[in-house]
Amino acid sequence: MSEASVSANASAPKAAPESKEGKKEVKHLSYGALIARRFFRQPSAVVGVVLLAILVLFALFGSSIAQWGYDEPDFLSLSGAPSSSHWLGTDPGGSDLYALVVHGLGKSLLIGVITSVATMAIAAIYGTAIAFFGGWVERIGMWILDCLLVVPSFLLIAMLVRAANATAGWIWLVIGLTAFGWVGYARIIRTMTLSLRERDYVKAAHFMGVGSFKIILRHLVPNLASLIIINTVLGVVGAVNSETALSFLGVGIKPPDTSLGSILQTGQSTIQTAPWILLAPSVVLILLCFSMQLIGDGLRDALDPNSAAGGKVGA
Amino acid sequence: MLKFIAKRLANYVVMLFVAVSFTYFMASAFMHPRSVYESRTPRPPQDSIERTLDLANLNDRTPVLERYWNWLTAIVTRWDWGKSPTLESVNSAIAPRVLASTELVTLSTVLSIVLGVALGIYTAQRQYKWQDRMFMVTGTLFMVIPSAVLALLIVLMAIAVNDTVGFRMFYVTGLSSYTGDDIGLRLLDFLQHIILPTISLTLLGMVGYHLTQRTYLLDELHADYVRTARMKGLTRRQAVRRHALRASLIPTGVNVAFSIASVFTGAVITESIFAINGLGRYFITAINQSDINASVAIAAFGGVCTLTGALLADIFSAWLDPRIKMS
Amino acid sequence: MFRKTKKNASPLADILKAGNGEVTRDEILQYELLEGNGPKGAPKGDPIMQVRDLHVSFATEAGVCRAVRGVNFDLWRGRTLGIVGESGSGKSVTALSLIGLLDDNAKVTGSIKMNGVELVGKTDEEMSVIRGEHIAMVFQDPLSALTPMFTIGDQIAEGLITHHPDMSKQAVHDRCIELLDLVGIPQPEERLNSFPHQFSGGMRQRVMIAIAIANNPDVIIADEPTTALDVTIQAQILDVLAKAQKETGAAVVLITHDLGVVAGAADDILVMYAGRPVERASIDDIFAKPSMPYTMGLLGAVPKPHVAASQRLVPIQGNPPSLVDIPAGCPFSPRCPLATPECSQAEPNLEVVDATNGHLASCRRLNEIVSKNMKYTDVFPVPEMLPAKWAEVPRDQRPVTLEVEHLVKTFPLTGGGMFRRTIGRVSAVDDVTFKIRQGETLALVGESGSGKSTTLMEIMNLMKPEDGRIVVLGHDLATLKGRGDRKALRKDLQIIFQDPMSSLDPRMTVYDVLAEPLKVHKWDKEKINHRIGELMELVGLNPDYVDRFPTQFSGGQRQRISIARALATDPKVLLLDEPIASLDVSIQAGVINLLEDLQAKLKISYLFVAHDLAVIRQISDRVAVMYLGQVVELGETEDVFTHPRHPYTQALLSAIPVPDPVVERTRSRIILKGDLPSPAEHHPGCRFASRCPVKLTLSPAQQQMCDGQRPTLRGDDQNQSEFACHFPLAVTAESAF
Repeated sequence: MSEASVSANASAPKAAPESKEGKKEVKHLSYGALIARRFFRQPSAVVGVVLLAILVLFALFGSSIAQWGYDEPDFLSLSGAPSSSHWLGTDPGGSDLYALVVHGLGKSLLIGVITSVATMAIAAIYGTAIAFFGGWVERIGMWILDCLLVVPSFLLIAMLVRAANATAGWIWLVIGLTAFGWVGYARIIRTMTLSLRERDYVKAAHFMGVGSFKIILRHLVPNLASLIIINTVLGVVGAVNSETALSFLGVGIKPPDTSLGSILQTGQSTIQTAPWILLAPSVVLILLCFSMQLIGDGLRDALDPNSAAGGKVGA
Repeated sequence: MLKFIAKRLANYVVMLFVAVSFTYFMASAFMHPRSVYESRTPRPPQDSIERTLDLANLNDRTPVLERYWNWLTAIVTRWDWGKSPTLESVNSAIAPRVLASTELVTLSTVLSIVLGVALGIYTAQRQYKWQDRMFMVTGTLFMVIPSAVLALLIVLMAIAVNDTVGFRMFYVTGLSSYTGDDIGLRLLDFLQHIILPTISLTLLGMVGYHLTQRTYLLDELHADYVRTARMKGLTRRQAVRRHALRASLIPTGVNVAFSIASVFTGAVITESIFAINGLGRYFITAINQSDINASVAIAAFGGVCTLTGALLADIFSAWLDPRIKMS
Repeated sequence: MFRKTKKNASPLADILKAGNGEVTRDEILQYELLEGNGPKGAPKGDPIMQVRDLHVSFATEAGVCRAVRGVNFDLWRGRTLGIVGESGSGKSVTALSLIGLLDDNAKVTGSIKMNGVELVGKTDEEMSVIRGEHIAMVFQDPLSALTPMFTIGDQIAEGLITHHPDMSKQAVHDRCIELLDLVGIPQPEERLNSFPHQFSGGMRQRVMIAIAIANNPDVIIADEPTTALDVTIQAQILDVLAKAQKETGAAVVLITHDLGVVAGAADDILVMYAGRPVERASIDDIFAKPSMPYTMGLLGAVPKPHVAASQRLVPIQGNPPSLVDIPAGCPFSPRCPLATPECSQAEPNLEVVDATNGHLASCRRLNEIVSKNMKYTDVFPVPEMLPAKWAEVPRDQRPVTLEVEHLVKTFPLTGGGMFRRTIGRVSAVDDVTFKIRQGETLALVGESGSGKSTTLMEIMNLMKPEDGRIVVLGHDLATLKGRGDRKALRKDLQIIFQDPMSSLDPRMTVYDVLAEPLKVHKWDKEKINHRIGELMELVGLNPDYVDRFPTQFSGGQRQRISIARALATDPKVLLLDEPIASLDVSIQAGVINLLEDLQAKLKISYLFVAHDLAVIRQISDRVAVMYLGQVVELGETEDVFTHPRHPYTQALLSAIPVPDPVVERTRSRIILKGDLPSPAEHHPGCRFASRCPVKLTLSPAQQQMCDGQRPTLRGDDQNQSEFACHFPLAVTAESAF
């Protein structure tokens, strides 16, 4: 008999009695279920998920209840106020704002998600790679990262996107945002990898004879994954923000395509006469970014084993 | 100390050179000044187009390396950053814009640092209390709100206020409109113009300082040495002020130094909405006119600002934190 | 308060007198009995501080954490009260509540009176007048206790100026120098302008003490002041602390988990368990006649450095209760071998064991224990030594499993700048030699920075060493070819790390953790499953727990999982890197016993790295003592402990605090000067020469030899040990302890 027989172990006073009675289902709480429980325990995270779900549904199916297509201008109603035929009014070109916002939201979401995923993928590969190889590779890799940070990326992206034509514009926007957006994240991931590499359990696995590739897959990736997932979610906010800014300045999405940023640009010129053109895209943008941020913060707390916000689950 | 700075400086100059050259090649590859002329109606004669492009060192029929070399030698020997496709000098165009940008961002930068740091300190000492939670939520909101949205909403509100009071209390475009000689009226006029962009930039800028300062101070607040200071007979407030606060201001100082660059490039949207002829707006014009030389010059200016910020950050942290040795 | 001023009256007489008055019995027991049987006799005069019925609780997410539940004691000037307990016993919270440094969410009730002034309920501002002037504290971790941005001169001066704003600049400066000098910091004038990071841990702790005594406080609280330090540095700091007490005449509260430390330094002892004092006595009584089963267990669980390991350690089963969820009744009863069903009904109070000497203990069966004069061997059955079946073969006839010869490992020292050039080399390991036979335990001892861990890593890497030779189970590492060879060898060579928290991946269940090494060697699923059940039982864990995550286990249990993982592939050699250093005393004993049992069962060789010499004497057959990367003495454990040949070994042994106050008082201690020199410094002679006490007694010609010639490991005919010293100590009839 040993310590284990006294199952009232200090860190799990509540879990212990259950297992003593042999309730097997307590033990099989998977890691994913644990995280989900911690995540949905936070009201703000739930609010974020609900908001985002509504927005996504709106972007996907909102057009099916619209009376107008986003590219079908109603020349009888230019800069019209909200009415029964144009729920949110029309812009100076006569396009239905509801249809524009639905389409623009879809485009902004698409750009945001693709950019964020691509950015993080490049950052993860680059960051882990230079941290693993170390030595000269790392030093040169870091120097390149520093170099890319010298010129404000905004300028470079604008140059790249401006050159593209209208229909392929959003793809170039994604390329531009990705090409210059990964640098900061790569630095974070490198630092993280460096510290993970020194953990005892990584050393232990190495000394057991586990191959390097398996160590990366089994120990490093799961531990980096939480960081990458969080950053990907929060990265959507950043990407949507950049997209909005560029489109607003006229160097992003160009007509006939439309995004939330370009609607704002249209609305700016009629700010005194038709303020409703600004309101709808603004509200949608704020809701989108806010919900993503709430989800990201919620994930951060759920995935951080030391966080108090996640409550005490199983530990 | 001097050796340390010199070493860093040398490294930064190399970086700047590589980065600016990269920008030049990228701009040359993606921008087509020829199209500016070719799309004009009536289309200018071919000879004239070629001549103008040659004069501006922008002719894409000249090999890019040759253009690069001409451009580089002009900068190194004459400090001449080239010409726009319309043959205006970049040097003379950039100067007044830097001035306008500086006017715009100085006040808001100072305000966002002071208010943001103060708010960070205030909320850190009230962690998890309602004040902290309230400012956290508002902070998060301002962090995620796109700057264009915020600025436009502020404009909408200002117009509403103007309509309510019945006269132009706030100007929503430009930096000045008064032309008389009265210094007091001129100042008032400037304030009426600057206040809206300043509010917009400050709200966006202070969030960062608020959240980071809060984290830094929280990290230090529970440090063992704060307890030591209290053990000596300092009250909690004194210990926090003299010991924890100082340590937490080091990383904030570094952030401030770094923010110098974004001061000039981060105001593009605000300049555009409030119609202020600063660097950001100049850059958008340059891009739209396929002005390679101006774009690269602005990028170079941004790079210089970034690296100055980085150098200041290095010096600042080494000066404040004795653990960092300057060798 | 009913305390009467009494000069030399016997406490017993007092009780009788008080008993006739209106004082209730409980109060007599708790407050009026004075510890009398210690080295200083009974305390005289009025106490400087009186703590009565102190309760501290915290609101946490899990519920209300009742950290301290009814503590009473008095402090007298010039006396030291030792508060002993394991982590979570409430000892540190008690200390922090005395000085008013608890977190805001702490709720303190009861009374703490200092010179008759009530401290409980004072605001932070009011307490700040008292802190630093009348009460001061020394904290555990000297590395983080000083503000990194200020010079130590400023930090000492701050305490002076806060309380004496009228002091002149010169007076402050002079006092700072005086203080630094007192705590033994060389060249105090220059060091005033140094920053904390320029000091070693031991030096910083000296500065901490200087800050604490700056205003001649009446009470000094020392919370684990030496836990973070090496043993020779610990000896220095305890010395400085004693000096500081003498200088200020203050009452000292010494909080520690180390019974050896209190044995030498304290006059009175309070043993705490689950937030309550469970035994109180003078230092001699507590060691001679422990009366509460927990105290007995604690004493029995500690390995003794000064006597040969004659019997097994007595582990206390189980873990301390969570302070959020303290069970009804005696909180120790779930772990107590004497516990009866009544013990879990109500919590016992402190009762008199010996009224004359103020010995109190709280146990329902105290009368029985006292009347039968029960010793810990009566309470805790000593576990049987598991006889090793293979032990008949004499050790020197068994095959050598691990051999290291003249191992060298250096690290490049890089300069700053972008492309870091190598500007020198640091020798982390410089001439390490030893061999281990089958079923044998070799301990590698040394202070931090001596190269123990680097040696382990060099062996585990299975690469050709920089210089020297490593032979694992007959395979010279230099001749190993390719991954296949190494992988095959890893099956027989395993390691256990110090921190069981970080050596287990928090995202894997115990099953996956244990399966990992087996999967490497391509075991099939069924065999793995079977083996894991076997392993769990082998290390004394319930096999039903395999689906849990490491965070759900306590420290000791996690270390058992680490051991199980290391044993999975049935290795022949096990390297243990401080495997018990992060565990509580009562848990340590269980792990040590487990390791001994496993060796007896499985015939494994252990290379046991530790800094705790008491543990080493308990568990190891042979010892290699390391100093600055070199093995300076190598021999049979008993030889080395009784007759050290190298002056460093002798100093190391003399620095160990012995958990026996009588022995502690009579021992003379060799206190080494200064810190471990930087391994980056190169000099041709003996590495220990700069601190060697023997060198000072030698002739100039001999001293030159020490400075100019590096001694290598050799033996002579006085005993079996080998040593790297030109002028070894002679073997005498006396033992080193």
